[in-house]
Amino acid sequence: MDAQGYIDQRRRTFLQSAAIGLFAFSVSGCDALMSPEQARESGADFAVLSPGLVAILDVLGDALVPGAKAAGLAHYIDANLARDAGESLLMVRYLDVTTPQAQFYMAGLAALDSHCRTKNGKPFIQQSEAEATPIIASLLKGNPAGWDSIANAPPAPLFYLAVRGDAVDIVYGTMAGFEALDIPYAGHIDPKPAY
Amino acid sequence: MADSKADVVIVGAGAAGNLYAAKLSAAGKSVVVLDAGPAWKTDDLVSSLIWSRRLRWGGPAVESTGGHPFGVGFNSGWGFGGAALHHYGTWPRLMPSDFTMKSDHGKGLDWPISYNDLRPFYDRIQEEVGVSGDAKAEVWRPQGADYPLPPLEQFAQSRLIAKGFAALGMKTAPSPMAILSREYKGRPACIYDGWCDAGCPIGALANPLVTYHPVALKHGARFNAHAYATRLIQGKSASQVAGVEFIDAQGETHRQLGDVVILAASTVFNPTLLLNSRGPGWERGAANRSGLVGHYFMTHSIAALYGFFDKHETENYLGVTGAQQTNQDHYGKSSLGGAAFGSLQWQIAPTMKPNDLLGVAMSRADLFGKPLQDFMNRAVHHLAVMFGFGEGLPVHSNRVELTSRKGPGGTSLPRVVHQFAPASVGVWEQAAKLGLRVMAAAGAADSWPGPMASAHMMGGTIMGKDGATSVTDSFGRSHDIANLVIAGPGLFPTAGAMNPNFTNHAVSLRSVEHILDHWEDYRAA
Repeated sequence: MDAQGYIDQRRRTFLQSAAIGLFAFSVSGCDALMSPEQARESGADFAVLSPGLVAILDVLGDALVPGAKAAGLAHYIDANLARDAGESLLMVRYLDVTTPQAQFYMAGLAALDSHCRTKNGKPFIQQSEAEATPIIASLLKGNPAGWDSIANAPPAPLFYLAVRGDAVDIVYGTMAGFEALDIPYAGHIDPKPAY
Repeated sequence: MADSKADVVIVGAGAAGNLYAAKLSAAGKSVVVLDAGPAWKTDDLVSSLIWSRRLRWGGPAVESTGGHPFGVGFNSGWGFGGAALHHYGTWPRLMPSDFTMKSDHGKGLDWPISYNDLRPFYDRIQEEVGVSGDAKAEVWRPQGADYPLPPLEQFAQSRLIAKGFAALGMKTAPSPMAILSREYKGRPACIYDGWCDAGCPIGALANPLVTYHPVALKHGARFNAHAYATRLIQGKSASQVAGVEFIDAQGETHRQLGDVVILAASTVFNPTLLLNSRGPGWERGAANRSGLVGHYFMTHSIAALYGFFDKHETENYLGVTGAQQTNQDHYGKSSLGGAAFGSLQWQIAPTMKPNDLLGVAMSRADLFGKPLQDFMNRAVHHLAVMFGFGEGLPVHSNRVELTSRKGPGGTSLPRVVHQFAPASVGVWEQAAKLGLRVMAAAGAADSWPGPMASAHMMGGTIMGKDGATSVTDSFGRSHDIANLVIAGPGLFPTAGAMNPNFTNHAVSLRSVEHILDHWEDYRAA
């Protein structure tokens, strides 16, 4: 396939996925359109994030918004980072970040881990809930110790808002999320299926 | 690729670009529109604040900095319809005092025209587009024709907050909205599901895809998606523009020539395009002999006020994203007292969905984990909100400028530098205090203000009476380049405290009719 054919294929895939509310994931080398939740359940490959960063994101996501991990937050972010920035659905799109979005997330997750190692001598995923809560709360106040040791790390408050926003999206911003909150979705054009 | 030629080249398929395209093509002009983003259709407007991110700027990221950085990404558009595709349809008129700030107070700037110059265009636009409201209830409203449609429905949170205003002796009135309360000109009435922010696929809200875009298409205007304008092509002299250079989706460069060029590429990208256009006599960029291109960038401060009404189902998920009611008791520039100077407009009871920047969860961005869960379960049924829009004064140092970052075609990418004047910060501070009093008077159990935020982009290519103190005349025509017209809220010399899109339409209609009335003069240039 030539370059233009590749672009066309990606655009067709995007438009198809946008129309039905699904993302393109790869499972055992086969591409399929799935919701992030389905991608997580089926163990779909990650295109951008490493296993180590996914582990941090799983824990952070659930700590920010309970249910985010099960809803497929890591796959949701990864699928969007694999797209052109102009097609991204991530909250970071609003935040006027000039660095590539993938770098924003990867450096932010690494900076969080670096801070935890500096503060408590162990990685983020090994923090107890009692230890993690004040760490997460501190992010909104500025870059904590150890954060700036990671090159190109985004400002901690911006990183917090972006990941929290993504987690809120996938837990509360879906049709299933509305139903769980007992409010009507009442879409003019529903995103299908509920992700 | 060979150059192509049209009577008019328009950069940007947003609100102004579509209005210009509709009027010019209907008058028989050949029109080509270039837009950097996709060719959205109404059935792309999925009711989801996640999927609606696609409607926000998707080109090279704009750097935003300064004491009060402005949210460019959230406020900008991407593709056909521009920012108006996801705008909320809140359409108040500017007040007469907004046009004479410098003369009246010795602060800010004056417009080169008065409210009375724009009044007939406001009247005609509201008739063409369909605006719902109650002119008599808006006791602050300047003179003008009654709205063609009755006001929109009210829901619980609006009625609750209005009681607070009434208890303080303040008035409220239905917000004037470019959303149809009844079927109008073949478009259906609003059904109040509150998805305006994601784009209105039924066409009740006046987004360009259902107002002027179809008219332009009907009359033969040609719209090019994924056409990123890189620079203006100089004509035979520095006082003439020959067309626009752009790059298509395949990365190929084209030249679209035209007798008249209209820039409607947004408050950020109009100056960006001008500053990237260099040539003999354009050493500081096109249309920039004044050195003012990019300067006087303005925005509105937002004082968000939240309150819990636990005994009531506030129905905050119903209605419209803009507002259900308004209060403008403190629109007078000095009416807030103290260090505040500038106008204030309240927008009461916008719809809140659970997520997104203006959603329920973001009203307490500090909460996470179990406290956030508890908050969400309470807030989606009992939270009420209102926004105080404060005037940002025109400040020369607030600007759009070029950076060393490179974008398509080797062009320099923009940076927005913004800091509110102290008097504008004073407006926000007074609004936050006043809003807490209103919420308390309304009986809110808990109430709190959100952090200072901002919305709407204006200035950067301001109009004025002469070429030394402004970029264009009152019609948006460049003082330097006679066949170049600039469109959009970037022309505004002051921001007022009113949502800009109604005024954007009125200014654009006045300007496009001036072009048609003086076509040979523009064309001969």
